[in-house]
Amino acid sequence: MKLAQVLNSKGDKIIDKWVTFTLKTYQSSGFFIKERDAFANPVGGQVRSILTQLLPLLLEGRGKDSYRLPLQHLMRIRAVQDFTPSQAIAPLNAVKHIVRESLGGAQRVRELESELYDFEFAVDLAVLSAFDLYTECRHQLHEIRVAELKTGTSILTDSPCPSKKLQAVEKISK
Amino acid sequence: MAVAKLEQLEQSVASDPSMLTGAYPTEDWMDVPAEFYSGNFAFPAKVNIVEYLDSQKGLHFPNAREWSPEQDDWKLPEDWKDIILNGLKERLDKFRSLKIFMDCCVRCGACADKCHFYLGTGDPKNMPVLRAELLRSVYRNDFTLGGKILGKMAGNREMTIGVLKEWFMYSYQCTECRRCSVFCPYGIDTAEVTIIMRELLHLVGVGINWILEPVSNSNRTGNHMGLQPHTFKDNVEFLTDDIESLTGVKIEPTFNRKGAEILFITPSADVFAEPGLYTAMGYLILFEHLGLDYTWSTYASEGGNFGLFTNNESMKKLNAKMYAEAERLGVRYILGGECGHMWRVLHQYMDTMNGPADFLEVPKSPITGTVFQNCASTKMVHVSEFTADLIRHNKLKLDKSRNDYLTVTYHDSCNTARAMGLMEEPRYILKHVVNNFHEMPENTIREQTFCCGSGTGLNTDEIMELRMRSGLPRANAVKYVEDKHGVNMLSCVCAIDRATLTSLMNYWNPNVGVSGITELVGNAIVLDGETRGELDEGLRTMVF
Ligand code: SF4
Ligand code: SF4
Repeated sequence: MKLAQVLNSKGDKIIDKWVTFTLKTYQSSGFFIKERDAFANPVGGQVRSILTQLLPLLLEGRGKDSYRLPLQHLMRIRAVQDFTPSQAIAPLNAVKHIVRESLGGAQRVRELESELYDFEFAVDLAVLSAFDLYTECRHQLHEIRVAELKTGTSILTDSPCPSKKLQAVEKISK
Repeated sequence: MAVAKLEQLEQSVASDPSMLTGAYPTEDWMDVPAEFYSGNFAFPAKVNIVEYLDSQKGLHFPNAREWSPEQDDWKLPEDWKDIILNGLKERLDKFRSLKIFMDCCVRCGACADKCHFYLGTGDPKNMPVLRAELLRSVYRNDFTLGGKILGKMAGNREMTIGVLKEWFMYSYQCTECRRCSVFCPYGIDTAEVTIIMRELLHLVGVGINWILEPVSNSNRTGNHMGLQPHTFKDNVEFLTDDIESLTGVKIEPTFNRKGAEILFITPSADVFAEPGLYTAMGYLILFEHLGLDYTWSTYASEGGNFGLFTNNESMKKLNAKMYAEAERLGVRYILGGECGHMWRVLHQYMDTMNGPADFLEVPKSPITGTVFQNCASTKMVHVSEFTADLIRHNKLKLDKSRNDYLTVTYHDSCNTARAMGLMEEPRYILKHVVNNFHEMPENTIREQTFCCGSGTGLNTDEIMELRMRSGLPRANAVKYVEDKHGVNMLSCVCAIDRATLTSLMNYWNPNVGVSGITELVGNAIVLDGETRGELDEGLRTMVF
């Protein structure tokens, strides 16, 4: 039996486990896992939908570029949530272990070893992609900060009050 | 083998110190201390700002000093604890609502998962019920019978420095948006609990610069930016130059004109920062089209009221300024621009603080004759109510195809939706000025709208990540209509939103812009004598 077939029959379970693993990295994992309304629970909803899209792409070994799109949103979320970079990305690695575990036994794993190797290589590529995306998000945050400074919002706090300036001028002229 | 590895991986994510609160919470929430590090707190107020405010009549801002939340010692006054507890007592006596909110929560949890800070962080202390519990635990300990005896078992606790630090962290991770209150069966308004926690913190000199500097600027020059009268006037005039190059029509607004029928007040951001500028151009075009007898004021040059995010006294003082100016100029009533918390202050607090404004008249549209009875006491009418009424009476010449380059959705700003019930008018206007409009999902709009994530003076860049994660629920709903309907413009009637949603969209949905409603109205208006060409981006088109 092919890996893809095995996983097809167990796909939902694998995704469930992967989603649970990912959402367990949050303090309120219970709510994030349980609530299925994607607007009432954006983190849980997005994680579920992204990982569901990603798994078949990984199984097909579509290549780094194809993982970018779903991963982009996941990384956007995790890049602003106070995870260290490795914490932000680690849940992607988990799918390797979850898949191996789901095969049910060393015998099966040996049979599918070469396919598993391909799958895990795909996950490695996804992880690399995620690292790029994480860094891009952080960079984007800096750009947004600069943009705020440029549009003038910063003058709210960083300009001396005009009458203070006047006082300073008066002081100097005295 | 695989399982063991998976567990190891899980450990490495879950039990390494999470930066959010310092540690993975295996303990009771009360035992998890608030930890501050660069990026998770807004900068404390500058010494000179606090000193200035403290020197002002009617205001009390003690303990000006250099301090940082990161340091252990916050340099509080020696008797800080008495100050806080007396302050709380005073407020419990003064505000019946506070006493009720302290007493009647049954911890049913209906509000728990309704806060955008909770949804974006997963931090339990961002559940509204726990946020309020930070104050309630102290209230029960010190102000209820047997509070001290029952102690921690009943969730009561002493006021300590740790508790104070927690108040600071979580009262500045609440945008006072009131979404939680919509779901509370008892109508408990956690925003008001946050308001009180912030007030109490100011009593010992704990406050943030992004709020106190605008308060100080507004107190001194009349607006957040500290723009002096001539600068304010120049800025508005620059906008009329832009309108002239776009439409060929020269508009000549007046400033501080005594005897005008109407005083127009809007947030200063509208005449100063993108994308609010285009909304201000919209106002100018609309009023020109109507031939309205109105004036701008360079003194009441701010609709926003950061006093609301500070304490009652500052809020009252800044609100009074608008009315003092209306009285000085002898106008009949005030027309207010697109602002969020200006309207919250107006509808919820103005009357008790400074009202009723009996020296003014109940707003009556000079064009349609409609009397806005809803403003009978405040004498201030919202530009969207005013415009919707004009459209209903067919008084505007509109070409809505001019907005065809846009597919628009509407963000209900927390304050206009939940604090003044303005939900139909903006939609009614949009229906008449744009062809392509799509609503976001039902549980993210109207009363249930999600905050931009940066309200109540949290729109400062040092806490950008916090702003982005708390804005996720809003951005998530925008993404949905962007993917489904190709929405490329998020419209709203709040100046803070125009600034904060711009950054939020830049991060989450970079192809979606942000606009005010009156920008879209202004772009659709056909002015008499205009020589307008094709403007691909409406009022934002660059013409040379
Ligand atoms: S008022 Fe808004 S930000 Fe504050 S606790 Fe309630 S839902 Fe959260
Ligand atoms: S919904 Fe109201 S009563 Fe229930 S926990 Fe929240 S604040 Fe308390």
